[in-house]
Parts: sequence; C-alpha cells; structure tokens
Amino acid sequence: MSQETAPPDIMIDLVKVTKVYPPEVQAISDISLTVAKGEIVFLTGMSGAGKTTLLRLISRIEKPTKGMVEVAGIDVAKLPQGNIHQLRRKIGMAYQDFKLLPDRTVADNIAIAMEVVYRPRSFIEKRTRALLGQLDLVKKYASPAAELSRGEQQRVAIARAVANFPEIVLADEPTGNLDAETTEKVMNLFHQLNRQGTTLLIATHDQSLYQQTSSRVIELRFGRIRSPLSDPPEDTREETAASSLYPSPEA
Amino acid sequence: MRFLTVVLQHTCRNMLFTWKSQIMTLFTVSLSVLIFSFFYLIYSNALHVSQELGDDLRLIVYLDENPAPAMQEQYQMKILKFDQVERIEFISSQQAFKRFEQQLGDNSDVLTGVPADFLPPSIEVYPVRSLDSLSRIKRFSDYLQTLPGVIKVQYGKEWIERFFSFIQLMRVVIILSGSLLIMTTTFMVAHTIRLTLLSRQQELELLRLVGATNNYIRMPFLLEGALQGFLGACGGIAALLLLFNWIKLQFAGPTTLTLLPFTFFPWPIILSIIGISTLLCAAGSFSTTRRILHL
Repeated sequence: MSQETAPPDIMIDLVKVTKVYPPEVQAISDISLTVAKGEIVFLTGMSGAGKTTLLRLISRIEKPTKGMVEVAGIDVAKLPQGNIHQLRRKIGMAYQDFKLLPDRTVADNIAIAMEVVYRPRSFIEKRTRALLGQLDLVKKYASPAAELSRGEQQRVAIARAVANFPEIVLADEPTGNLDAETTEKVMNLFHQLNRQGTTLLIATHDQSLYQQTSSRVIELRFGRIRSPLSDPPEDTREETAASSLYPSPEA
Repeated sequence: MRFLTVVLQHTCRNMLFTWKSQIMTLFTVSLSVLIFSFFYLIYSNALHVSQELGDDLRLIVYLDENPAPAMQEQYQMKILKFDQVERIEFISSQQAFKRFEQQLGDNSDVLTGVPADFLPPSIEVYPVRSLDSLSRIKRFSDYLQTLPGVIKVQYGKEWIERFFSFIQLMRVVIILSGSLLIMTTTFMVAHTIRLTLLSRQQELELLRLVGATNNYIRMPFLLEGALQGFLGACGGIAALLLLFNWIKLQFAGPTTLTLLPFTFFPWPIILSIIGISTLLCAAGSFSTTRRILHL
C-alpha cells in the first residue's frame, strides 16, 4: 500500500529560464529546476557554464530574458523595484567576489545584513561573534576587511550571507580559497543552517563538497542542465529532462 | 525608533566620510543665506521706514481759491477714486493761517496786520502708507496737477523718489540673492550628495543586495541635505546677527540709525529662512539621490 504524502514546499522554481546578455551571449538556456524547501543542491560545471548567472537570477540581480523564476512563491521578474528587498531578505548570498567593504571592519561587514532588518544591537553583536567563532575569525572582529587574506574574506562573506537566518542561502564558490579544514567548518555551518530549515544552493568546482553527500548535484554545461548526479529528493516536482539519470554517489 | 537610529548613524557616517566637501557646502550655504538675509533685512527695515514716514508722505495740493462745497465734492470724488488714497482734508486760507500762527508760537506777532487769507487754500492728500503708493506718488502728483484750480502740488519729491529708487534696487538685489541662495543650496548640496553617493557606491550596492529598503538607502542622504540646509542657514543667520550688532554698535549715537527703526528679523522670519533653506537642500539631495540611485 503506498502512502501519499503532501508534496514538500517548493522554495525555488525555475521554468524554462533563458538569460541572454547583450549583444547575444546566451548565459543560460531553457533551464527548468525545482528546489524544495530545506534541500541542499550543488551546482557544478566549468567556468562560464552559467552557475553564477543562475544564482543572480534567483536573487533578482538579473532578470530572465525568458521563462519564470519563482522564489518562495514570489515571481521575481514581476517583483516591482520597490519590493525587491522583500525577496532579498529571504536570501543570503555569498558572492564569488565577496562584495566586502574594504574600509569597514569584519564585524561591520557582517552586521550590515542584520542592520537593514533593524535587528537590535545586542543581537547583531552576539550573532557576529558566534559566526566568527564558528569560522575561526574571532581575532579578526575589529580588523578592516582589506587587511584579510582571500580565505578570510571568503569566510566573512559567508558569515554575512547566513547572519540573518535566511530562508535560502546561495553560495557562489564558497570554498574556492579555503583549505580542507576551513572548508569543513564552512560546510558544517551550512549543514547546521540546513537542519534549521534553510535551503542551500551551492555553486562549486570542489568535488569534495558533494562527493560524500546524498544531496542533489546538478551540472551545468554551456548554460544548460547537463544532468543531475544524484536523484532529486522525494516528492519534489519533476525537473528538467534527464533529471534522474545518475544515481547518487552514496547509492 | 531603530529606523531613526540607523538613519542617523548612516547620516553621521556619510558626513564624516566627506567632511571636506561638507564644510565647503556649509560655508557656501551660510554665505548665500547671509547675503540674501542681509539684503532682506535692509529691505524689510526700509519697508518699516516707509510706514513710519507718516506726514512726510502727505501731498499738499495748493488751490487758487477756497473751493465751494460743490467743488469740494468734485475734488473729493476725483481724488478718492484712487485706491491708494487713505483720506483727504480741505484746508481753507483761514485754517492755514491759524496753523502757521501756531507754528510760529511766541513769534506769531510778526503776522500782525497780515490778512487772514494771505495763504492759499489747499487739499492735503494722505496716501496709503505702503510701498505701492510710494511708487505711484509721482504719477499721482502729476495727475493732481491737472485738476482745475490747482496751483501747485508739493511733497518731499526728491527724498521720496530716491527712497523709492533705493527700494526698487533692493527688490532686484533680493531677487538676485534669492536666486543665488536657491542655486547654491540646491546645486552645492546636490553636488556634495553626489560625491557621497559616488564614494559609497559599493556600500549602496551591497545594501540593496542584503535587502535594504529604498527608504533605508535614501533617508540618510535626504537627512544629510536637510542638515546641511539647516546648519548652513543657522550659520548664515548667526553671522548676520553678529554683523547687525556690529553695525548698531559702530553707528550708535546721534546718527540716522538711532532715528530710524533699524531692527533684526522677528522669529517667524528667521524660522522661515531656516525652513526654506532646509527644504531647498533636502530637495537638492532628493533629486540627486533619485537620479543616481534610480530610486
């Protein structure tokens, strides 16, 4: 007897999304993808495959040329300029280029995400210290971001992305400059957030991040989804073509 | 409350970040307010003076003979049809003689033997005490001259004409300095805000990415503009007050200034100047923020 369960909440839903940059650079072609609430999805692919563009489309830094991008029930392309903050507050994004303010301290850089939602000072300080503790950066609390190494800057960018307990974390090459030990700390932080219900979409080249997990892996090639390297989670909506060709590494 | 605290923090940070251009802007706004309010102070005092002129503004229309009651009525009708006339008064030769006698006082005996009707009858025309009537007094006197039986029209011609020219000049200067005030406050503030915006572009982009509302981004710049306008205007008014007191001190004594009512602005005018300057600067900031941030 099969037991019917309600389909899990869909957090990110892309339907036939295409992004063309002028004059005619096709960054993403006809991508459909569904990510369930609380899921961890790894996006892999060569440089220029469209990983970053995909993340930028989800966070409405870019608008799709064609197709629909829906995040937490919000059709992001139709979101008026004045309401984009509603979407961005649901998303924490760790950028590949970090987007840190070099003249501001590490604490200030992390606090900025919490300040815009008017978190109390005491909360901001407590949360900042906790994150810096988890990412081994406690001593850098008052250091200007410009004085940090690239690995440290990367961790600050990650701390800022997760500081506000966002519903979705989009991480673009989050461990690109990190050693194995620090990478593990970052991943522990991500998994901790995931256990609290956060959906994670991680764009990475680092195979070690997803080889030992049961999370879904999606490979992008020339702006298209080539094939997922693992099965989608149960009850998620049907994905793009050939979405279940590859078994999970753990299977 | 938290919103206000954050906005204030950002505003202070912005202002500290570009303190050099902030000082330049404050200085420029203060100077513009000082120039404008200086001329406005002279103008408003001149207006005061024109109201204090009293009898000096009276026109005396000398007639060749005492007008009969019917003629008096005609004169009255023709003169009072001008809305700038407050009242008129007929002075017969006898009344003029009595006045003259009173003016002479103890020396009135010099009039012994002089016939009581040796002075010509006249009509005293009292115009409304305003600058408008002052500006028309010459033309009005020319008109009175054309009335039948009029020998001569007399008033402090030269003095009033000079005074009127001065007032006209003041009006032009006030318009020019007012334009200067508008231009400097809006343009200088817009320029400073632009510098701040450009120097903080990276942070503003980040604020948008982490979910800041448009108001969160915009308000510190609006407040910065308004503060520049407020502080600049306060500085300008304070400088004017110092200048005013210095002038009063320098010219204290039995001179013209003690005779004329030379007063500083009342509070409503001071607050209006500060308010207008604040609004203009906030408007300058608003337009720049809108243009550069596309908010």
